[in-house]
Amino acid sequence: MKRILLIARREYVAYAKTVGFWLSLLALPFFAVVGGGIPLLIRSSEPVRAVALVEEGPQASGLAAAVRTALQTDNDDARERAAKMEKNQPGAGRAVASLAAPRLRLVPAPAGIVDNPAGPARDEALRQALDRRADKAQRLDAVVFLSRQDGKPQARVWTGRAGDDEVADFVRDALRDSYREETLGAAGVPPAVVADVESFRPEITAFSPSAASGGEVSLRDRLPTFIGLGAGFILWSLIITGASILMNSVMEEKANRILEILLSSASATEILAGKVLGVALLTLTVLAVWGGIGAFGLVSAAPGAAVDVGRALLHDGMIFYFVAYMVGGYLMYAVLFAAIGAFCETPRDAQTLMGPIMMVLIIPLLVLQMALRTPDAVVVKVLSWIPLFTPFLMSARAPADPPVIEIVLTLAGMFATAALMIWIAGRAFRAGALSDVKLNWKSFGRAITGRA
Amino acid sequence: MTAALTLEGLGKRYGDFEAVRDLSFQVERGSICGFLGPNGAGKTSTLRMILGLQPASSGRIDILGAPDGRLVRDRIGFLPEERGLYKKMTPVEAIAFFGSLKGLPAHEGRKRARELLEQQGLGDSQRKKMKELSKGMAQKVQLIAAVVHRPEFVILDEPFSGLDPMNQQGLEQMIRGLAADGATVLFSTHVMQHAERLCDKVVLLARGRKAFEGSVEAAKATSPRFLELEGAITAEAAAALPGVAGVEPLSEDGEARRLKIALSPGAGGQETLKAAFLGGLDVRGFALKEPTLHDAFINLTGDRPDQPAPQSALATETAQ
Repeated sequence: MKRILLIARREYVAYAKTVGFWLSLLALPFFAVVGGGIPLLIRSSEPVRAVALVEEGPQASGLAAAVRTALQTDNDDARERAAKMEKNQPGAGRAVASLAAPRLRLVPAPAGIVDNPAGPARDEALRQALDRRADKAQRLDAVVFLSRQDGKPQARVWTGRAGDDEVADFVRDALRDSYREETLGAAGVPPAVVADVESFRPEITAFSPSAASGGEVSLRDRLPTFIGLGAGFILWSLIITGASILMNSVMEEKANRILEILLSSASATEILAGKVLGVALLTLTVLAVWGGIGAFGLVSAAPGAAVDVGRALLHDGMIFYFVAYMVGGYLMYAVLFAAIGAFCETPRDAQTLMGPIMMVLIIPLLVLQMALRTPDAVVVKVLSWIPLFTPFLMSARAPADPPVIEIVLTLAGMFATAALMIWIAGRAFRAGALSDVKLNWKSFGRAITGRA
Repeated sequence: MTAALTLEGLGKRYGDFEAVRDLSFQVERGSICGFLGPNGAGKTSTLRMILGLQPASSGRIDILGAPDGRLVRDRIGFLPEERGLYKKMTPVEAIAFFGSLKGLPAHEGRKRARELLEQQGLGDSQRKKMKELSKGMAQKVQLIAAVVHRPEFVILDEPFSGLDPMNQQGLEQMIRGLAADGATVLFSTHVMQHAERLCDKVVLLARGRKAFEGSVEAAKATSPRFLELEGAITAEAAAALPGVAGVEPLSEDGEARRLKIALSPGAGGQETLKAAFLGGLDVRGFALKEPTLHDAFINLTGDRPDQPAPQSALATETAQ
């Protein structure tokens, strides 16, 4: 036991002492924050476009006013939503406002564009107004010519940047709403009715006997499903990361000829157990850091949601599933990867076996997405019985309260498979550690059956 | 003297290939034993079986009173043929880690590591990473790691390979020191000079079988003495001399030749020389040479070791 702990400690310290480990550890939370903030940053850093509206001919009369009204309405809506959000989550209002409000402001069109009829003179005035080298205060970002064709509104949108669709999209929506209002008004529908119909959003309330209230389904009721799915993905990521670290560590020791010295000091089982334990502690460190940062972020940003998440994890048994499936899953994959590593000195050597294994490992990732919507789908159920997929898929299914017998049997199957894998990997590890045989399925099979 | 290691009828098969066949020998406690043999003779397989790293296909092992090296691994020190240590560790950390695996308390391991590094002239390298050390330095650190726990039995697989002459000399001193402290040392090597200088006993292995077991002197005695002749002498004329078992031309410059003459068992060389002079052969120089371990190796295994033959001779006479 002492040797196992010594090897585990060395394994842990060897990685935990490196800057790279902590950088990669903090990379996920960092990019999660940055990834979430980037759209907001991009949106808020977008310039507010200066747009001039020009009505072409008397038929177009009223279209500029319609676009102006639409912009005013959108800005009012954004302000209203921001104010509501600010009440619930102080500080969030500004973010919502900058995401929701259109980044446009309407300015008067230069005289050279308004006064000249369509032709070279107006084109020249347009080019000057949209010239990106011109003074910012004088420059326009877009000029919109509004007209009608067979009574229907249409627009030609000139922009300084050919790829900028923001103005075109906004004008399209505004003209569509305006035309609908006109048409319905012409058909005798009062404008107030039209406005009411347009702003109507049916309120849908979900009910379920399995909801905590016994009726109405709240976010709290949906939370375990999201947590289960998240747990499935996190488990997949942690287990594969941990197992890969283990494989690389064994490969490095094989390449550096350290394994033979280790084998003269400890049994193959002790070495394997020590390494598996050391990397498990690393994985737990990763989990603790991610969990800590996540919990801190959640408590800071949404204390109410944090309480609900904590309740779901502690009271609905999610944490038990998570731990049990993590232990079983890690054992299965860690020992398998370690055994493969014992036959290899470079990642290229390992590709022979790792290719098919990684292809199989993609399957639970694909099925996890299905488990979010329909955790009881037959394909999800059947695949969750396959021990190699059990940790990920049962974690995702757990919130849907699968039958206890299924939980017990899948857990039993997973741990039985883990035990079998440990036995197989132990044999392969011992054979591979001292072997110069090139790794392939045949040599791996010979090692397992003791014919190496 | 009691035996620290006894092998009886040891065998190892890899599929159809028989790497070691019916190998039996003993190593006495406190002695230095050289385990010699050409590449592929089965030395590493034998050492691994002794350590319990590989199971024997047949036969019996008794090491320090145990039937399996794994049962007494804390009392054994091992330096494998292909060496390596954790590159990012310092020598003290690496030595203390391997010592702790053998049951040495960590603080004592570090203390011993510093002492041994100082003794080996590596005091200034204690804080460097292993990857910053030269090959010779790293090899010394590895040997220290193998013996830091004061093992009773030390197994070294090709310990001299890759070392420069200075480091080879240092390693020889270390091995002598281990034996002086009471440890039994078994080492495999291709370099016959080391075995000749260090060993109380040698075991020669050829194609998986034991070719010889005994003292260095006894090994050399299995090989004939040599007479080197220089002069305008043909190989045929030399072969006709009494007491000659074989003739090997060493060099030729016009009529002047150097011949290596293997003497028949029991022949002293005096008769042969006398006959050469009396027979009127143009002898311009001669040297009577005792066989070396290198000669014994070739004679017993029918193979040449990787290293060049030693130039030293126990008895040399030169005609003026």
